[in-house]
Amino acid sequence: MSRSTAPSGPAAATLDAAEEYVAARVGHALEAVFDAVAATRADTAALLARVAAEGRRPVTADLAALRPGLHLRLTRQELVSGVGFVAAPGVLADVPAWLEWWQSDACGDVRPLLLDLDPRTSAYSDYTHWDWFALPRDTGRRAVAGPYVDYLCSDEYSLTLSAPVEVGGRFLGVAAADVYLRHFEAAALPLLRGLPGPARLVNARGRVAASADPAQLAGSLVKGPDFGAVLESGRPGTFGGMRLVPCRGVPLVLVVAAG
Amino acid sequence: MGQHQTDGGARKAVFAPVDSGARVTAVVRRIGDAIELGLLADGEQLPGETELAGQLGVSTVTLREALMALRQQGLVVTRRGRGGGSFVSSPEVPDRERLTERLRGWSPEELRDLGDHWAALSGTAAHLAAERTEDHDLDQLRRTTEELRGAPDAAARSRVYGRFHVELAAAAQSARLTREQVALQTEIGALLCLVLGDDEYREEVADRHRSVISAVQDGAHASARELAERCVRDATARLIALRLAR
Repeated sequence: MSRSTAPSGPAAATLDAAEEYVAARVGHALEAVFDAVAATRADTAALLARVAAEGRRPVTADLAALRPGLHLRLTRQELVSGVGFVAAPGVLADVPAWLEWWQSDACGDVRPLLLDLDPRTSAYSDYTHWDWFALPRDTGRRAVAGPYVDYLCSDEYSLTLSAPVEVGGRFLGVAAADVYLRHFEAAALPLLRGLPGPARLVNARGRVAASADPAQLAGSLVKGPDFGAVLESGRPGTFGGMRLVPCRGVPLVLVVAAG
Repeated sequence: MGQHQTDGGARKAVFAPVDSGARVTAVVRRIGDAIELGLLADGEQLPGETELAGQLGVSTVTLREALMALRQQGLVVTRRGRGGGSFVSSPEVPDRERLTERLRGWSPEELRDLGDHWAALSGTAAHLAAERTEDHDLDQLRRTTEELRGAPDAAARSRVYGRFHVELAAAAQSARLTREQVALQTEIGALLCLVLGDDEYREEVADRHRSVISAVQDGAHASARELAERCVRDATARLIALRLAR
Protein backbone atom coordinates (compact mmCIF):
# COMPACT_ATOMS: atom_id res chain seq x y z
CA MET A 1 0.00 0.00 0.00
CA SER A 2 1.48 3.33 -0.98
CA ARG A 3 0.85 6.48 0.98
CA SER A 4 1.87 10.06 0.56
CA THR A 5 1.09 12.69 3.17
CA ALA A 6 -1.76 10.97 5.01
CA PRO A 7 -1.59 10.88 8.83
CA SER A 8 0.18 7.93 10.37
CA GLY A 9 -0.82 5.62 13.25
CA PRO A 10 -2.97 2.48 13.44
CA ALA A 11 -6.37 4.25 13.04
CA ALA A 12 -5.23 6.12 9.95
CA ALA A 13 -3.75 2.94 8.50
CA THR A 14 -7.11 1.17 8.92
CA LEU A 15 -8.92 4.04 7.24
CA ASP A 16 -6.42 4.07 4.39
CA ALA A 17 -6.98 0.37 3.96
CA ALA A 18 -10.79 0.90 3.86
CA GLU A 19 -10.43 3.58 1.20
CA GLU A 20 -8.10 1.50 -0.90
CA TYR A 21 -10.45 -1.44 -0.56
CA VAL A 22 -13.33 0.69 -1.93
CA ALA A 23 -11.13 1.99 -4.76
CA ALA A 24 -10.12 -1.57 -5.63
CA ARG A 25 -13.74 -2.80 -5.61
CA VAL A 26 -14.82 0.05 -7.92
CA GLY A 27 -11.94 -0.79 -10.24
CA HIS A 28 -12.98 -4.43 -10.14
CA ALA A 29 -16.61 -3.63 -11.08
CA LEU A 30 -15.53 -1.62 -14.12
CA GLU A 31 -12.90 -4.21 -14.99
CA ALA A 32 -15.77 -6.65 -15.52
CA VAL A 33 -17.27 -4.20 -18.04
CA PHE A 34 -13.88 -3.88 -19.72
CA ASP A 35 -13.92 -7.68 -20.05
CA ALA A 36 -17.05 -7.30 -22.20
CA VAL A 37 -15.28 -4.61 -24.24
CA ALA A 38 -12.18 -6.79 -24.64
CA ALA A 39 -14.24 -9.79 -25.79
CA THR A 40 -16.05 -7.61 -28.35
CA ARG A 41 -12.74 -6.17 -29.47
CA ALA A 42 -11.23 -9.65 -29.92
CA ASP A 43 -14.29 -10.96 -31.82
CA THR A 44 -14.33 -7.92 -34.09
CA ALA A 45 -10.59 -7.94 -34.80
CA ALA A 46 -10.72 -11.67 -35.64
CA LEU A 47 -13.73 -11.16 -37.90
CA LEU A 48 -12.18 -8.21 -39.75
CA ALA A 49 -8.86 -10.07 -40.14
CA ARG A 50 -10.75 -13.04 -41.61
CA VAL A 51 -12.55 -10.81 -44.11
CA ALA A 52 -9.26 -9.13 -45.06
CA ALA A 53 -7.71 -12.58 -45.61
CA GLU A 54 -10.49 -13.25 -48.13
CA GLY A 55 -9.17 -10.26 -50.04
CA ARG A 56 -12.26 -8.08 -49.66
CA ARG A 57 -13.55 -5.15 -47.63
CA PRO A 58 -16.02 -5.86 -44.80
CA VAL A 59 -19.69 -4.98 -45.17
CA THR A 60 -22.41 -4.48 -42.53
CA ALA A 61 -23.73 -8.01 -43.10
CA ASP A 62 -20.36 -9.43 -41.93
CA LEU A 63 -20.89 -7.79 -38.53
CA ALA A 64 -23.97 -9.94 -37.91
CA ALA A 65 -21.49 -12.63 -36.79
CA LEU A 66 -20.78 -10.49 -33.70
CA ARG A 67 -24.38 -10.64 -32.48
CA PRO A 68 -24.40 -13.85 -30.43
CA GLY A 69 -21.43 -12.57 -28.40
CA LEU A 70 -22.95 -9.10 -27.98
CA HIS A 71 -26.28 -10.54 -26.82
CA LEU A 72 -24.52 -12.80 -24.35
CA ARG A 73 -22.58 -9.88 -22.84
CA LEU A 74 -25.75 -7.78 -22.56
CA THR A 75 -27.62 -10.48 -20.67
CA ARG A 76 -24.70 -11.77 -18.56
CA GLN A 77 -23.02 -8.52 -17.58
CA GLU A 78 -25.27 -6.75 -15.09
CA LEU A 79 -23.81 -3.25 -15.47
CA VAL A 80 -23.80 -3.28 -19.28
CA SER A 81 -26.86 -1.72 -20.99
CA GLY A 82 -25.39 -1.31 -24.47
CA VAL A 83 -22.53 -2.99 -26.29
CA GLY A 84 -21.08 -3.18 -29.76
CA PHE A 85 -18.58 -2.18 -32.40
CA VAL A 86 -18.47 1.29 -33.90
CA ALA A 87 -16.73 1.32 -37.26
CA ALA A 88 -14.35 4.08 -38.24
CA PRO A 89 -15.83 5.97 -41.22
CA GLY A 90 -14.76 4.39 -44.51
CA VAL A 91 -13.96 0.95 -43.11
CA LEU A 92 -17.13 -0.77 -44.36
CA ALA A 93 -17.66 -1.07 -48.09
CA ASP A 94 -21.46 -0.66 -48.16
CA VAL A 95 -22.01 2.30 -45.80
CA PRO A 96 -20.00 5.41 -44.91
CA ALA A 97 -20.39 4.85 -41.15
CA TRP A 98 -21.92 2.24 -38.88
CA LEU A 99 -22.66 1.22 -35.30
CA GLU A 100 -23.23 -2.49 -34.75
CA TRP A 101 -24.85 -1.60 -31.45
CA TRP A 102 -27.22 -3.53 -29.22
CA GLN A 103 -29.07 -2.37 -26.13
CA SER A 104 -31.11 -4.03 -23.43
CA ASP A 105 -34.30 -2.21 -22.48
CA ALA A 106 -36.07 -1.94 -19.12
CA CYS A 107 -37.77 -5.33 -19.70
CA GLY A 108 -34.44 -7.00 -20.45
CA ASP A 109 -35.22 -7.35 -24.15
CA VAL A 110 -32.23 -6.99 -26.45
CA ARG A 111 -32.63 -4.78 -29.52
CA PRO A 112 -30.44 -3.14 -32.13
CA LEU A 113 -29.83 0.59 -32.27
CA LEU A 114 -30.55 1.94 -35.74
CA LEU A 115 -29.28 5.44 -36.21
CA ASP A 116 -29.76 7.84 -39.06
CA LEU A 117 -26.14 8.42 -40.08
CA ASP A 118 -26.91 10.24 -43.31
CA PRO A 119 -25.37 13.72 -43.04
CA ARG A 120 -28.02 15.03 -45.45
CA THR A 121 -30.81 14.33 -42.97
CA SER A 122 -29.22 14.05 -39.55
CA ALA A 123 -27.28 16.61 -37.54
CA TYR A 124 -25.89 13.74 -35.48
CA SER A 125 -24.30 11.65 -38.23
CA ASP A 126 -20.67 12.31 -37.27
CA TYR A 127 -19.79 10.38 -34.12
CA THR A 128 -16.01 10.62 -34.40
CA HIS A 129 -15.66 13.53 -31.95
CA TRP A 130 -17.28 11.74 -29.00
CA ASP A 131 -14.77 10.83 -26.28
CA TRP A 132 -15.63 7.11 -26.45
CA PHE A 133 -14.47 7.11 -30.08
CA ALA A 134 -11.76 9.77 -30.11
CA LEU A 135 -9.87 8.69 -26.96
CA PRO A 136 -9.10 5.08 -28.03
CA ARG A 137 -8.41 6.26 -31.60
CA ASP A 138 -5.95 8.95 -30.50
CA THR A 139 -4.21 7.09 -27.66
CA GLY A 140 -4.43 3.49 -28.87
CA ARG A 141 -5.55 2.58 -25.35
CA ARG A 142 -8.81 1.69 -23.66
CA ALA A 143 -10.78 4.59 -22.15
CA VAL A 144 -13.69 5.54 -19.93
CA ALA A 145 -15.82 8.38 -21.31
CA GLY A 146 -18.20 10.30 -19.09
CA PRO A 147 -20.25 10.69 -17.11
CA TYR A 148 -22.03 12.43 -20.01
CA VAL A 149 -25.54 12.70 -21.44
CA ASP A 150 -25.61 10.27 -24.34
CA TYR A 151 -28.10 11.90 -26.70
CA LEU A 152 -26.84 9.82 -29.63
CA CYS A 153 -27.65 6.28 -28.51
CA SER A 154 -29.46 5.91 -25.20
CA ASP A 155 -30.66 9.35 -23.98
CA GLU A 156 -29.20 8.30 -20.64
CA TYR A 157 -26.58 9.77 -18.34
CA SER A 158 -23.82 7.26 -18.95
CA LEU A 159 -20.29 6.02 -18.74
CA THR A 160 -18.96 4.45 -21.94
CA LEU A 161 -15.97 2.12 -21.77
CA SER A 162 -14.18 1.56 -25.04
CA ALA A 163 -11.06 0.16 -26.66
CA PRO A 164 -9.56 0.48 -30.15
CA VAL A 165 -10.02 -2.30 -32.69
CA GLU A 166 -6.94 -2.65 -34.84
CA VAL A 167 -5.92 -5.11 -37.51
CA GLY A 168 -2.35 -5.08 -38.75
CA GLY A 169 -1.74 -1.81 -36.92
CA ARG A 170 -4.63 -0.06 -38.68
CA PHE A 171 -7.39 1.54 -36.56
CA LEU A 172 -10.78 0.21 -37.72
CA GLY A 173 -13.08 1.48 -34.99
CA VAL A 174 -13.87 0.95 -31.32
CA ALA A 175 -15.41 -1.81 -29.24
CA ALA A 176 -17.49 -0.28 -26.46
CA ALA A 177 -19.98 -0.87 -23.65
CA ASP A 178 -22.41 1.56 -22.00
CA VAL A 179 -23.03 1.69 -18.26
CA TYR A 180 -25.95 3.90 -17.25
CA LEU A 181 -24.86 6.13 -14.42
CA ARG A 182 -27.78 5.15 -12.20
CA HIS A 183 -26.65 1.51 -12.41
CA PHE A 184 -23.05 2.46 -11.69
CA GLU A 185 -24.15 4.58 -8.74
CA ALA A 186 -26.28 1.76 -7.40
CA ALA A 187 -23.21 -0.49 -7.46
CA ALA A 188 -20.83 2.10 -6.01
CA LEU A 189 -23.05 3.69 -3.33
CA PRO A 190 -22.98 0.84 -0.78
CA LEU A 191 -19.17 0.96 -0.96
CA LEU A 192 -19.01 4.75 -0.63
CA ARG A 193 -21.49 4.78 2.24
CA GLY A 194 -19.35 2.21 4.06
CA LEU A 195 -16.65 4.86 4.50
CA PRO A 196 -16.88 7.12 7.57
CA GLY A 197 -16.95 10.53 5.78
CA PRO A 198 -18.72 11.80 2.64
CA ALA A 199 -17.11 10.09 -0.33
CA ARG A 200 -17.36 10.45 -4.11
CA LEU A 201 -15.83 9.03 -7.25
CA VAL A 202 -14.46 11.59 -9.68
CA ASN A 203 -13.18 11.24 -13.25
CA ALA A 204 -9.92 12.59 -14.66
CA ARG A 205 -11.54 15.95 -15.44
CA GLY A 206 -13.06 16.38 -11.98
CA ARG A 207 -16.62 15.29 -12.85
CA VAL A 208 -18.37 13.36 -10.07
CA ALA A 209 -19.48 9.89 -11.27
CA ALA A 210 -21.00 8.65 -8.01
CA SER A 211 -21.44 10.33 -4.68
CA ALA A 212 -22.49 9.72 -1.09
CA ASP A 213 -21.94 13.41 -0.39
CA PRO A 214 -25.19 15.41 -0.53
CA ALA A 215 -23.17 18.60 -1.05
CA GLN A 216 -21.54 17.31 -4.24
CA LEU A 217 -23.68 15.04 -6.36
CA ALA A 218 -22.99 13.09 -9.54
CA GLY A 219 -22.61 15.40 -12.52
CA SER A 220 -21.06 18.26 -10.55
CA LEU A 221 -17.42 19.30 -10.80
CA VAL A 222 -14.76 19.07 -8.11
CA LYS A 223 -12.52 22.03 -8.81
CA GLY A 224 -8.92 22.33 -7.78
CA PRO A 225 -7.08 19.01 -7.77
CA ASP A 226 -5.37 17.70 -10.88
CA PHE A 227 -7.13 14.33 -10.99
CA GLY A 228 -5.35 13.41 -14.21
CA ALA A 229 -2.00 13.66 -12.41
CA VAL A 230 -3.28 11.52 -9.51
CA LEU A 231 -4.36 8.84 -11.99
CA GLU A 232 -1.08 9.12 -13.85
CA SER A 233 0.93 8.57 -10.65
CA GLY A 234 -1.31 5.72 -9.48
CA ARG A 235 -0.72 6.82 -5.89
CA PRO A 236 -2.97 8.38 -3.24
CA GLY A 237 -2.45 12.05 -2.53
CA THR A 238 -4.05 14.97 -0.71
CA PHE A 239 -5.37 18.33 -1.84
CA GLY A 240 -6.88 21.05 0.37
CA GLY A 241 -8.39 18.75 2.99
CA MET A 242 -9.30 16.02 0.47
CA ARG A 243 -7.69 12.63 0.21
CA LEU A 244 -7.49 11.35 -3.36
CA VAL A 245 -7.23 7.61 -3.97
CA PRO A 246 -6.96 6.37 -7.56
CA CYS A 247 -9.05 3.31 -8.48
CA ARG A 248 -6.72 0.68 -9.86
CA GLY A 249 -6.88 0.23 -13.62
CA VAL A 250 -9.75 2.67 -14.26
CA PRO A 251 -9.62 6.47 -14.55
CA LEU A 252 -11.65 7.29 -11.42
CA VAL A 253 -10.43 8.80 -8.18
CA LEU A 254 -12.02 8.20 -4.78
CA VAL A 255 -12.31 11.53 -2.97
CA VAL A 256 -12.81 11.65 0.81
CA ALA A 257 -12.18 14.19 3.55
CA ALA A 258 -8.57 13.86 4.72
CA GLY A 259 -8.48 12.47 8.25
CA MET B 1 -33.43 4.77 -50.31
CA GLY B 2 -35.88 1.99 -49.55
CA GLN B 3 -36.90 0.92 -46.10
CA HIS B 4 -34.60 2.11 -43.44
CA GLN B 5 -35.49 2.55 -39.87
CA THR B 6 -33.53 4.68 -37.51
CA ASP B 7 -33.76 5.46 -33.86
CA GLY B 8 -32.37 7.84 -31.29
CA GLY B 9 -33.86 10.63 -29.21
CA ALA B 10 -35.36 12.82 -31.88
CA ARG B 11 -36.87 9.81 -33.62
CA LYS B 12 -38.37 8.33 -30.49
CA ALA B 13 -40.08 11.65 -29.78
CA VAL B 14 -41.74 11.49 -33.19
CA PHE B 15 -43.76 8.44 -32.23
CA ALA B 16 -44.53 9.36 -28.61
CA PRO B 17 -48.24 9.81 -27.75
CA VAL B 18 -49.73 13.11 -28.90
CA ASP B 19 -51.76 15.37 -26.62
CA SER B 20 -55.51 15.10 -26.58
CA GLY B 21 -57.51 17.92 -28.16
CA ALA B 22 -56.97 18.65 -31.81
CA ARG B 23 -55.59 15.19 -32.45
CA VAL B 24 -55.69 15.11 -36.21
CA THR B 25 -53.84 18.44 -36.32
CA ALA B 26 -51.37 17.19 -33.74
CA VAL B 27 -50.58 14.03 -35.72
CA VAL B 28 -50.24 15.96 -38.99
CA ARG B 29 -47.95 18.45 -37.29
CA ARG B 30 -45.78 15.82 -35.62
CA ILE B 31 -45.24 13.62 -38.67
CA GLY B 32 -45.16 16.51 -41.14
CA ASP B 33 -42.49 18.32 -39.12
CA ALA B 34 -40.43 15.15 -38.80
CA ILE B 35 -40.49 14.75 -42.58
CA GLU B 36 -39.60 18.42 -43.22
CA LEU B 37 -36.65 18.11 -40.86
CA GLY B 38 -35.48 14.85 -42.37
CA LEU B 39 -36.02 12.84 -39.17
CA LEU B 40 -38.07 10.48 -41.29
CA ALA B 41 -36.21 9.65 -44.45
CA ASP B 42 -37.51 9.77 -47.99
CA GLY B 43 -39.05 6.43 -48.96
CA GLU B 44 -39.16 5.19 -45.39
CA GLN B 45 -42.20 3.08 -44.58
CA LEU B 46 -44.30 4.31 -41.67
CA PRO B 47 -45.45 1.68 -39.16
CA GLY B 48 -48.80 -0.01 -39.94
CA GLU B 49 -51.94 1.98 -39.13
CA THR B 50 -52.83 0.02 -36.00
CA GLU B 51 -49.30 0.12 -34.65
CA LEU B 52 -48.77 3.79 -35.45
CA ALA B 53 -52.14 4.77 -33.96
CA GLY B 54 -51.20 2.81 -30.83
CA GLN B 55 -47.82 4.50 -30.54
CA LEU B 56 -49.27 7.96 -30.98
CA GLY B 57 -52.15 7.20 -28.64
CA VAL B 58 -54.89 8.05 -31.15
CA SER B 59 -57.70 6.04 -32.74
CA THR B 60 -57.16 4.53 -36.18
CA VAL B 61 -59.89 6.85 -37.50
CA THR B 62 -57.92 9.88 -36.31
CA LEU B 63 -54.75 8.46 -37.80
CA ARG B 64 -56.42 7.87 -41.17
CA GLU B 65 -57.63 11.45 -41.28
CA ALA B 66 -54.14 12.66 -40.47
CA LEU B 67 -52.58 10.44 -43.15
CA MET B 68 -55.08 11.80 -45.65
CA ALA B 69 -54.02 15.36 -44.80
CA LEU B 70 -50.36 14.39 -45.13
CA ARG B 71 -51.07 12.80 -48.54
CA GLN B 72 -52.73 16.03 -49.65
CA GLN B 73 -49.61 17.92 -48.60
CA GLY B 74 -47.54 15.48 -50.66
CA LEU B 75 -45.51 14.32 -47.65
CA VAL B 76 -46.83 10.76 -47.60
CA VAL B 77 -47.73 8.35 -50.39
CA THR B 78 -49.82 5.27 -49.80
CA ARG B 79 -49.38 2.16 -51.91
CA ARG B 80 -51.89 -0.67 -51.84
CA GLY B 81 -51.40 -4.41 -52.06
CA ARG B 82 -48.39 -6.59 -51.31
CA GLY B 83 -45.49 -4.50 -50.02
CA GLY B 84 -47.93 -1.62 -49.66
CA GLY B 85 -48.35 0.87 -46.85
CA SER B 86 -47.64 4.51 -46.17
CA PHE B 87 -44.27 5.87 -47.24
CA VAL B 88 -42.49 9.12 -46.54
CA SER B 89 -42.13 11.39 -49.53
CA SER B 90 -39.56 14.02 -48.52
CA PRO B 91 -39.45 17.32 -50.31
CA GLU B 92 -35.99 18.19 -51.69
CA VAL B 93 -35.95 21.32 -49.57
CA PRO B 94 -38.60 22.45 -47.10
CA ASP B 95 -41.06 24.42 -49.13
CA ARG B 96 -41.71 27.89 -47.78
CA GLU B 97 -45.38 27.79 -48.62
CA ARG B 98 -45.93 24.47 -46.89
CA LEU B 99 -43.99 25.64 -43.85
CA THR B 100 -46.05 28.82 -43.71
CA GLU B 101 -49.13 26.64 -43.85
CA ARG B 102 -47.69 24.65 -40.95
CA LEU B 103 -47.04 27.85 -39.00
CA ARG B 104 -50.69 28.82 -39.53
CA GLY B 105 -51.59 25.65 -37.61
CA TRP B 106 -50.17 27.30 -34.52
CA SER B 107 -52.05 30.13 -32.82
CA PRO B 108 -49.85 33.04 -31.63
CA GLU B 109 -50.69 32.04 -28.07
CA GLU B 110 -49.46 28.47 -28.70
CA LEU B 111 -46.26 29.83 -30.18
CA ARG B 112 -45.78 32.12 -27.19
CA ASP B 113 -46.29 29.16 -24.87
CA LEU B 114 -43.88 27.01 -26.86
CA GLY B 115 -41.33 29.82 -26.59
CA ASP B 116 -41.86 30.00 -22.81
CA HIS B 117 -41.22 26.28 -22.49
CA TRP B 118 -38.16 26.49 -24.69
CA ALA B 119 -36.76 29.49 -22.79
CA ALA B 120 -37.24 27.62 -19.52
CA LEU B 121 -35.37 24.61 -20.87
CA SER B 122 -32.49 26.41 -22.56
CA GLY B 123 -32.18 29.08 -19.85
CA THR B 124 -31.92 26.48 -17.10
CA ALA B 125 -29.59 24.36 -19.20
CA ALA B 126 -27.26 27.34 -19.73
CA HIS B 127 -27.33 28.16 -16.02
CA LEU B 128 -26.49 24.59 -14.98
CA ALA B 129 -23.91 24.19 -17.72
CA ALA B 130 -22.10 27.28 -16.41
CA GLU B 131 -21.89 25.58 -13.02
CA ARG B 132 -20.99 22.13 -14.28
CA THR B 133 -18.98 22.59 -17.42
CA GLU B 134 -15.30 22.17 -17.81
CA ASP B 135 -13.72 23.55 -20.94
CA HIS B 136 -13.64 20.28 -22.85
CA ASP B 137 -17.46 20.05 -22.68
CA LEU B 138 -17.71 23.20 -24.78
CA ASP B 139 -15.90 21.76 -27.79
CA GLN B 140 -19.09 20.33 -29.27
CA LEU B 141 -21.00 23.60 -28.80
CA ARG B 142 -18.18 25.52 -30.47
CA ARG B 143 -18.10 23.08 -33.37
CA THR B 144 -21.87 23.35 -33.78
CA THR B 145 -21.73 27.15 -33.84
CA GLU B 146 -19.11 27.04 -36.60
CA GLU B 147 -21.17 24.48 -38.50
CA LEU B 148 -24.19 26.77 -38.35
CA ARG B 149 -22.21 29.42 -40.22
CA GLY B 150 -21.40 26.94 -42.97
CA ALA B 151 -24.82 25.27 -43.22
CA PRO B 152 -26.11 25.88 -46.73
CA ASP B 153 -29.89 25.72 -46.55
CA ALA B 154 -32.59 26.49 -44.01
CA ALA B 155 -33.23 22.82 -43.17
CA ALA B 156 -29.56 22.13 -42.42
CA ARG B 157 -29.36 25.31 -40.36
CA SER B 158 -32.42 24.34 -38.41
CA ARG B 159 -30.99 20.88 -37.59
CA VAL B 160 -27.67 22.36 -36.44
CA TYR B 161 -29.46 25.11 -34.50
CA GLY B 162 -31.51 22.45 -32.70
CA ARG B 163 -28.37 20.47 -31.97
CA PHE B 164 -26.87 23.49 -30.22
CA HIS B 165 -29.72 23.54 -27.73
CA VAL B 166 -29.56 19.75 -27.27
CA GLU B 167 -25.81 19.97 -26.61
CA LEU B 168 -26.37 22.83 -24.18
CA ALA B 169 -28.77 20.60 -22.20
CA ALA B 170 -26.21 17.78 -22.31
CA ALA B 171 -23.52 20.19 -21.02
CA ALA B 172 -25.86 20.80 -18.07
CA GLN B 173 -25.38 17.06 -17.31
CA SER B 174 -29.16 16.56 -17.33
CA ALA B 175 -30.62 13.64 -19.27
CA ARG B 176 -34.15 14.91 -18.60
CA LEU B 177 -33.51 18.43 -19.89
CA THR B 178 -31.80 16.87 -22.91
CA ARG B 179 -34.74 14.57 -23.69
CA GLU B 180 -37.18 17.50 -23.30
CA GLN B 181 -35.05 19.63 -25.58
CA VAL B 182 -34.93 16.88 -28.24
CA ALA B 183 -38.72 16.60 -28.10
CA LEU B 184 -39.14 20.37 -28.28
CA GLN B 185 -36.85 20.63 -31.28
CA THR B 186 -38.98 18.12 -33.17
CA GLU B 187 -41.90 20.52 -32.61
CA ILE B 188 -40.22 23.79 -33.45
CA GLY B 189 -37.41 22.70 -35.77
CA ALA B 190 -39.39 22.76 -38.99
CA LEU B 191 -40.88 26.17 -38.20
CA LEU B 192 -37.42 27.58 -37.57
CA CYS B 193 -36.57 26.90 -41.22
CA LEU B 194 -38.80 29.92 -41.91
CA VAL B 195 -36.49 32.32 -40.09
CA LEU B 196 -33.09 30.67 -40.47
CA GLY B 197 -33.04 30.97 -44.26
CA ASP B 198 -32.11 34.64 -43.75
CA ASP B 199 -28.28 34.87 -43.80
CA GLU B 200 -28.21 37.96 -41.64
CA TYR B 201 -30.28 36.29 -38.94
CA ARG B 202 -28.14 33.16 -39.16
CA GLU B 203 -25.07 35.32 -38.37
CA GLU B 204 -26.91 36.94 -35.50
CA VAL B 205 -27.82 33.52 -34.08
CA ALA B 206 -24.21 32.34 -34.39
CA ASP B 207 -23.10 35.45 -32.47
CA ARG B 208 -25.70 34.83 -29.79
CA HIS B 209 -24.59 31.23 -29.46
CA ARG B 210 -21.00 32.33 -29.12
CA SER B 211 -21.90 34.70 -26.30
CA VAL B 212 -23.81 31.89 -24.51
CA ILE B 213 -20.69 29.70 -24.80
CA SER B 214 -18.49 32.48 -23.40
CA ALA B 215 -20.77 33.01 -20.40
CA VAL B 216 -20.88 29.25 -19.74
CA GLN B 217 -17.11 29.06 -20.02
CA ASP B 218 -16.71 31.93 -17.53
CA GLY B 219 -19.05 30.19 -15.10
CA ALA B 220 -21.31 33.26 -15.27
CA HIS B 221 -24.51 31.30 -14.73
CA ALA B 222 -26.90 34.25 -14.43
CA SER B 223 -25.79 35.84 -17.68
CA ALA B 224 -25.57 32.44 -19.41
CA ARG B 225 -29.24 31.91 -18.54
CA GLU B 226 -30.21 35.39 -19.68
CA LEU B 227 -28.34 35.12 -22.98
CA ALA B 228 -29.82 31.69 -23.77
CA GLU B 229 -33.32 32.92 -22.93
CA ARG B 230 -32.87 35.99 -25.08
CA CYS B 231 -31.71 33.86 -28.00
CA VAL B 232 -34.79 31.65 -27.71
CA ARG B 233 -37.22 34.53 -27.16
CA ASP B 234 -35.89 36.30 -30.20
CA ALA B 235 -36.41 33.23 -32.41
CA THR B 236 -39.94 32.79 -31.06
CA ALA B 237 -40.75 36.49 -31.53
CA ARG B 238 -39.72 36.21 -35.18
CA LEU B 239 -42.03 33.25 -35.68
CA ILE B 240 -44.92 35.05 -33.99
CA ALA B 241 -44.33 38.14 -36.12
CA LEU B 242 -44.44 35.94 -39.23
CA ARG B 243 -47.61 34.27 -38.00
CA LEU B 244 -49.32 37.60 -37.35
CA ALA B 245 -48.25 39.00 -40.68
CA ARG B 246 -50.57 36.59 -42.52
